[in-house]
Amino acid sequence: MENLLRFDTGLMIWTWITFIAVLVILGAKAWKPMIKALENRENFIRESLEEAEEARKEADKIAIEYEAMVAKARQEAQNIVAAGKETAELMKADILNEAQEKSAGILKQAEVQIVAERDKAIAEIRNQIVDISLAAAGKIISKSLTLEDNERLIDDALKDYGKN
Amino acid sequence: MAAPGHGTSNNIGDKIIEHVANSDVMIHLELFGVDLSITKHVIMLWIAAGLLVSAALFATRRYRKEDRHVPSGFSNAFEYVVDFVRTGILIPTVGKNHVLKWGPLVMSFFFLILTMNFLGLMPFFNYINHGHGGTTATGNINVTAALALITFFAIIMAGILEHGFFKHWKNLVPGGLPKAVYIILIPIEILSMFVRPFALTMRLAANMTAGHIAMLAIFAPIFLLHNAYVGVASVALNVGITFLEIIVSIVQAYVFTLLSSVFIGQSIHPHH
Repeated sequence: MENLLRFDTGLMIWTWITFIAVLVILGAKAWKPMIKALENRENFIRESLEEAEEARKEADKIAIEYEAMVAKARQEAQNIVAAGKETAELMKADILNEAQEKSAGILKQAEVQIVAERDKAIAEIRNQIVDISLAAAGKIISKSLTLEDNERLIDDALKDYGKN
Repeated sequence: MAAPGHGTSNNIGDKIIEHVANSDVMIHLELFGVDLSITKHVIMLWIAAGLLVSAALFATRRYRKEDRHVPSGFSNAFEYVVDFVRTGILIPTVGKNHVLKWGPLVMSFFFLILTMNFLGLMPFFNYINHGHGGTTATGNINVTAALALITFFAIIMAGILEHGFFKHWKNLVPGGLPKAVYIILIPIEILSMFVRPFALTMRLAANMTAGHIAMLAIFAPIFLLHNAYVGVASVALNVGITFLEIIVSIVQAYVFTLLSSVFIGQSIHPHH
């Protein structure tokens, strides 16, 4: 057993030398670069995930905003169409009214004109009748009647005509 | 006991001990009065360190050049183990902010011990030193003691770097207790300071040696009984034990590293 548990300073010193050599070489060339690379990668992945999450939230927000915008635009368009319709209805009613008023005016004017023309025609006819009657009567009874008789006859005739 | 290295003893127990012990001095070397002779386990240490450094430098070559390297193949496998040590051992014990400071030490522990443990499983290293014993350096108590001493000093360093020299020693015992309790507590804490590296030393060396002893003991009846059926049974059993030893190699590297990291972490974050 003494071989197994033999105290060996030389071996201990060699162990330290070897271990420290490994520690120094690999510490600088392998372990530290690797730890840094792993930490960098971890941070990169974490940041990427956070960024992706943020971008997703932002996109959601924008989508909601966009939807609201579209809804608003649609509402506005509907309002514009409705207002246009209303205006058109009003205009149509106005135009109709005006047209009706105008046609009524024209009709009335025509009526008045017709009445005036008729009166004028009647008056003319009456004058012509008087003239003709006078001429006829004169021819028929020119010698037998005195001036007084003529006047009286004309008056009678006129009275009768007026009754008619 | 027969002198190791000569292989003349017919005693099975001596054979086994001879197999698992370090070799005789292969190259005598003395520096400033300290015996630095090269033995089998020193060579095993160097082989392990050489293999580890080559493999790690090869695996991480791209990480030193590229800012954001996407690993594949061997690099990827290596990174998986490094990340296992980082997230499985370092972050829960020393904390995220101290990973870069203590990571190199803890990772060197894990990978070097693991490489040495695996080397012990390779049956051809017994050809170092003329066919005697294939145990690896981590089966030698001097190697594990040296590693545990590094842990011992790392624990103290961690506390001093984090809290200052005096605060670190004060942190060893919880504050605000009745004075009488300290009479018991202070010796216990001082004792535990030394027990921890001692336990690390024994656990690793004993586990690495025990497998070899068990396998040799199972092979022994072949030579004692000279029976073919016994041979088949022994070999079958030892194939199973070899698989078990693969697990033990990984687990012991993990345990040594984890406990070292836990102790360093306790120094940094005293929970008293």
